[in-house]
Amino acid sequence: MANINPAGVFDTKYEEDMSIDRTPRDKMWKNLAFFLLLLIPLFAASGPLGIGLISDQYVGLIIRVAIFVIAVQGLNILIGFNGQISLGHAAFMAIGAYSSAIIVRELGLSFWIALPMTAIITGLVGLIFGLPSLRVKGFYLAMATLAAQFIIPWVLRYPMEDLTGGTRPLSVPAPIIGPISAYADDTLTDDTPLVFDAGDPYFVDVITVELTAIDGDYPEIQIIDPDESVIPTGDFNMSFEEDADGNISRMSYIATKHGEHQVIIAPEEGTSTFNAHVSRSKALSFATDIAYYYIIIPIAVLLMFFARNIIRTRTGRAFISVRDNDLAAELLGINVFTYKLRAFFLSSVYAGIAGCLLAFERNSLSLDMFTLAVSIEMLAMLIIGGAGFPLGALFGVTFVRLLQESIIPAIRPLLEDNLPLILPFVDTVNIAGALNPILFGAALIIFLILEPRGIAHRWEILKVAWKIRPYSY
Amino acid sequence: MKKMSLTIVLLLFVAMFTMPSMAQDMVEYPSTLTECEVDLTGETITIYHFGDLSGAYAFITQPIVAALEDAVKYWNDNGGVCGAMLAQEFEDTGGDLEATQSAYDRFTSEFGDDLDLVLLYASPDAELLREQLAEDEIVSLISAGSVEGLYGEDGQTPGWLFATNPLYINQFGDFCEYVSENPDLFPDPVIGHVTWPGAFGEAAATPAGDEFCTNLGVEVIDEPQIFLPTDTDILTQVQNVVDAGATIIYTNTLASGPALVASTVVDLGLEDDITLAGVNWVMDTSVGILGQRSLKANGMPAVDSMYGSQPFVWWTETDEPSVQFVTEQFNANERTPAERNIGYLFTWGTSDIIIEAYIRTINEAGSLDAVTGAGLRATLESMEYSVMDGMFPFSYPDGFRDATQNRIAQLMFANAEMSGPAMSPDEALMIDDGNGGQIFVPIVVPLTDFQETPNLRGGE
Repeated sequence: MANINPAGVFDTKYEEDMSIDRTPRDKMWKNLAFFLLLLIPLFAASGPLGIGLISDQYVGLIIRVAIFVIAVQGLNILIGFNGQISLGHAAFMAIGAYSSAIIVRELGLSFWIALPMTAIITGLVGLIFGLPSLRVKGFYLAMATLAAQFIIPWVLRYPMEDLTGGTRPLSVPAPIIGPISAYADDTLTDDTPLVFDAGDPYFVDVITVELTAIDGDYPEIQIIDPDESVIPTGDFNMSFEEDADGNISRMSYIATKHGEHQVIIAPEEGTSTFNAHVSRSKALSFATDIAYYYIIIPIAVLLMFFARNIIRTRTGRAFISVRDNDLAAELLGINVFTYKLRAFFLSSVYAGIAGCLLAFERNSLSLDMFTLAVSIEMLAMLIIGGAGFPLGALFGVTFVRLLQESIIPAIRPLLEDNLPLILPFVDTVNIAGALNPILFGAALIIFLILEPRGIAHRWEILKVAWKIRPYSY
Repeated sequence: MKKMSLTIVLLLFVAMFTMPSMAQDMVEYPSTLTECEVDLTGETITIYHFGDLSGAYAFITQPIVAALEDAVKYWNDNGGVCGAMLAQEFEDTGGDLEATQSAYDRFTSEFGDDLDLVLLYASPDAELLREQLAEDEIVSLISAGSVEGLYGEDGQTPGWLFATNPLYINQFGDFCEYVSENPDLFPDPVIGHVTWPGAFGEAAATPAGDEFCTNLGVEVIDEPQIFLPTDTDILTQVQNVVDAGATIIYTNTLASGPALVASTVVDLGLEDDITLAGVNWVMDTSVGILGQRSLKANGMPAVDSMYGSQPFVWWTETDEPSVQFVTEQFNANERTPAERNIGYLFTWGTSDIIIEAYIRTINEAGSLDAVTGAGLRATLESMEYSVMDGMFPFSYPDGFRDATQNRIAQLMFANAEMSGPAMSPDEALMIDDGNGGQIFVPIVVPLTDFQETPNLRGGE
């Protein structure tokens, strides 16, 4: 689609012709849209203002849409920009999700470090599965990438079971920033419990207990949550330091549950004196949807912008030339294999980031979240949205998610009330289950027949018509 | 046509069991419910639930909705619960975790403070929502039991999910105990898992379970053999466990899963060498019917004599007041034969638990508005209760949040006199399948009384 300026607006430099925002008004609208997007959680029922203008459900929906927009944008780079295909995209998301969880849980690093590390790890795995693109393309490449959808979950399930939990779910802690401010210091010298309230949803409490001046055996440090349960040392919000004999001298716990917490130093028999220094500080938590929204949306917007920008670069032009005719591209001096691999790398980076964000949003990971059905659904989202258009991923994911989460629930009661009257053999229980695949399939077929280039193409046509109004002929 | 045949067969099956009861007077609700101390006239108690109603679990879950519909109707026709009307609100997720998350978000934002208790059906849903339920202080009753879903990774984390059946790993341990106590039936027992992938399918294949069974002298083959609910050929998986030395195949699947395992064993000619066993969902009408597509050399269905857990009463235990009552309601509501399964039966029990929990909590709190998730949780933790006067025991001692009582049973087929199981096709009760053929009538035969299950959730 030609990039058309409104009547009376002329480019005078090459940079202007290549710019993302063709006019100041374009830029203003985009900035305004981003600003409004950031305001949404403030008006949600559980937002800090407590206004309730927007249902919390829609904040959750936008988060899920944003995560899948990132993943599908990765697929768009591979399929839409570079003309390759992948049926294993959900498996790359799994790599991202599990590697980030392992980095945080096993290495004790924060989410903020795990996110870029995850992107690189997933990108490297993507390179491996991109290697067959040297020799095969089309249907055969699809089959080769389908192998990723089987191999990766198998590797995560069996050989890496000790790290991933295999088929068991893996808990993932919510991202935090901090500790940012210490607010209490106490010293315990006997087993009298220290009782305090903790667990604000936005500013969680970091409790640190340090034992000093111990005479005799080490006492046991117990942190008790509002359920009156002693937090086990295996809890992912817990970290501790041991000496050479396995005695715990320092324990740190992030209290996420709201309510009364206790710290008890339980002396072993033979312990005579000790000092336990208990410090409490606040950290900014992203455990709630409202807070997590402010991680997801900037990242999604940034990655959308990056994808849009790629096609303006040398790499992007090479991608497109490989997509349009790889033989001609090679004759022009483009290293086709390298660019195919770059596309696989970038696509996997996007999938990895999406997987990481999904893991930290759910706080629980399982391989059931990354099945072949998810890979195929993402492919369908891209087709509906428009492969090759930077906005294709956004349109496709939004359309499918709205269909599944808003349109189907809205029409279901109507059908449940009326369909059995017209078709008596229909069981109302089955209507809901049937609607999703029927409408999803129908939407896909309709788009393939009527608008094979997707919603984004239609959007471009509308944009052009608007820009050149009233001379649309 | 096949569906119609199955319907006719099951109609006959239902008619056979229900004719005597229809002649009797109306059966009273077998109540052991606590007296109401608060009048709730004009109020509504809503039972919220969501899960897979159209995917692999549909055989079990669709009758759950039907049973809740009938229970709601029964209570509302009879003055409600303490005067309050009952209602249900549900959503089908099709077994998709994205849809589960979406349903949870919708329920929590749409029903807000009214959502204190939610019913779930599946282990993957429990594992996904465990942390979120705790964060939102919403109690959940679930008819599933993976360790991680209920107790977290360490098997000891407090939670807000309560299972109405024993943990799948505990059911497996219970079966191992039964095997070790009956060496004449199971000489040199070696168990191999042939099961579905995921939180439910692989819930019984854990190192703790393997160790427990091994200590009892029952060897367990390390790696489970996995097949998908959509698979139709699992010769390789079955052959693999047989080659590894299995004499018993244990499956944590339902409906078509156990039937496929059984028919594969028969196809391989191993029916005399391999004993079949499985989770409590194996003991169901759906398995009994689907398992007849393949017959053993003696002419009995492939799933005949399959072992399994039976933590609830079964339709044929007609001495139980709860079974009499549910059967009457089933007939009165003209339910379809396919709904006459384990899901329909125990969901009446689950609705009884919900009602009892609400009554106790309301009595404590003083009004329905004052009921909170935390209040319901405290009630459930302390509740010792005989569900519908004997359907199954309900109590969570010492921090347990899954049922701790179980029975071992066998799926068999009725003899012509309906006095017990048939040992051969000649003895069996055969009824017309509506297509010119004959079909066996599945029954569940308890082999033990309710007994404590071993605790294999770990972390202690």
